Amino acid sequence: MKIRTSLYLMKEAFVSLKRNALMSFASISTVAVSLLVLGAFGILGLNMGYMVSALESKVEVTAYMQDSVEGDALTQAEADIRAVSGVSEVTFVTKTEALSRFRERLGDQASMLEALDDQNPLPNAFEIKVDNPELVKPTAQAIEQMAGVETVKYGSEIVDQLFQMTKILRILGLVLLGFLVFATLFIISNTIRLTVFARRKEIGIMKYVGATNAFIRLPFLMEGMILGSVGGGVAAVALYYAYSALLYEVHQVLAFLYLVPLHPFIYIIGGALVGIGMLIGAIGSAISLSRYMDV
Amino acid sequence: MITLSNVSKTYSTGAVAMDDISLSIDKGEFVFIVGPSGAGKSTLMKMLLLEESPDKGDLIVNGHDLRELPKKKIPYLRRSMGVIFQDYRLLPDKTVYENVAFAMRIVEASRREMKQNIEKVLGLVGLKHKAKSFPAQLSGGEQQRVAIARAIVNNPVIVIADEPTGNLDPENSWEIMNIFEEINKSGTTIVMATHDKTIVDRMRRRVIALEKGKIIRDEAKGGYGDED
Ligand SMILES: Nc1ncnc2c1ncn2[C@@H]1O[C@H](COP(=O)(O)OP(=O)(O)O)[C@@H](O)[C@H]1O
Ligand SMILES: [Mg+2]
Repeated sequence: MKIRTSLYLMKEAFVSLKRNALMSFASISTVAVSLLVLGAFGILGLNMGYMVSALESKVEVTAYMQDSVEGDALTQAEADIRAVSGVSEVTFVTKTEALSRFRERLGDQASMLEALDDQNPLPNAFEIKVDNPELVKPTAQAIEQMAGVETVKYGSEIVDQLFQMTKILRILGLVLLGFLVFATLFIISNTIRLTVFARRKEIGIMKYVGATNAFIRLPFLMEGMILGSVGGGVAAVALYYAYSALLYEVHQVLAFLYLVPLHPFIYIIGGALVGIGMLIGAIGSAISLSRYMDV
Repeated sequence: MITLSNVSKTYSTGAVAMDDISLSIDKGEFVFIVGPSGAGKSTLMKMLLLEESPDKGDLIVNGHDLRELPKKKIPYLRRSMGVIFQDYRLLPDKTVYENVAFAMRIVEASRREMKQNIEKVLGLVGLKHKAKSFPAQLSGGEQQRVAIARAIVNNPVIVIADEPTGNLDPENSWEIMNIFEEINKSGTTIVMATHDKTIVDRMRRRVIALEKGKIIRDEAKGGYGDED
């Protein structure tokens, strides 16, 4: 097909969109709202993933040893811990080291320690790094079972909860995705059905003068793609402003939260929304064309 | 050019539109298809346009046997035909020029070729000065002339017209017939279904009369007859 013909068909698609302005507006709005929700979910999910990986490096399991374990037994315990699957790094922290760290942390208040009378109440400990934050909990549990281990603490339960939440979010997101895609497909194919109906006379004439199926269908396909991508574009712009406002607020109040920076993240999300919109638009009009246009 | 051999067509409603029809039309002929309403004239036109296919029998159009023609090729075969209807079928929101250009865009003609051909056919139907008008600003006769211009702009070998003067007064009807004569003179085959007794009787062309889906008469310089 010649470029000039494609341009002509594109123009026809825009004319038709303008002619059915109300319906076009309705379907663009629906697409925009759907993709906005979808995009918001995507941003939420990606941020949680981002937080998890940011916390990941900070997650450590600490195993506190019974004071009765000494010498070779400690060496053996270290070897046993290393052998647990998922463990990537083990550092031994002696009682003495632990105390001096504690003293440092106390700073001005270190004098409190004088009450201890040279006694060291802190246990020997192993600081353990784990390959994968999902393994923190099982690793901690496994180490807790080992002989000579008093207690096991791990960085935070936050990671655990984040994981649960991302899982739920993912399932929820998929359900929502299905629902929204269905809704947008429905509205777009309906819009295209109406434009096919409005232009049935033109379609008839095209057939009589020898237009091929592809030629007749192309403007409608373009129409669907325009509706979808404009809807996606609107959603992208809205998300851009919403997310930059959110980042600003979070930065003011909850600076410790790890959120994905605006650039280039939001452009990728926006591009994806426009792309998804266009794809849904194409599929929506293809559905309509196969059902309502007999060429 | 066109050959039908023992063609029958019954619609799914049970209406028999063509009943064992055989006929042959040569290149350059001017043929009237006459008969009362419901005789099967429009069905025959649609068959020539490959819009309906025969239940039985063979159909050859412009050298193509319909039986051996893949569906995908049908649009290309239609480009060798021009078609005109009683109700003009113009696009109301396009100008006269764009309505005619529409047929050429589909064959992806070059801009220069488009301009040339459109000027030529608008000249032939006497509407050069109305190129920028919209259909609603034209009389019925003028609208039908635009439809003719569109039908012939791609230089078809066959022109198929289904009651083209059905909505027109006698004066406009004659103007249309003059244009058809003109087109026929250049070698284009014309098949025209009509109700119009005066036209058929005065033109003295080949007449094929249908009734209840059968050919009841086929005469080389015939008149309308008394069937109606
Ligand atoms: N699309 C259709 N579906 C069912 N019956 C039809 C259809 N078109 C025409 N017919 C019937 O076929 C017969 C021939 O119709 P038609 O070819 O339109 O005749 P004419 O053009 O001579 O008036 C009539 O009985 C008509 O009712
Ligand atoms: Mg008829």
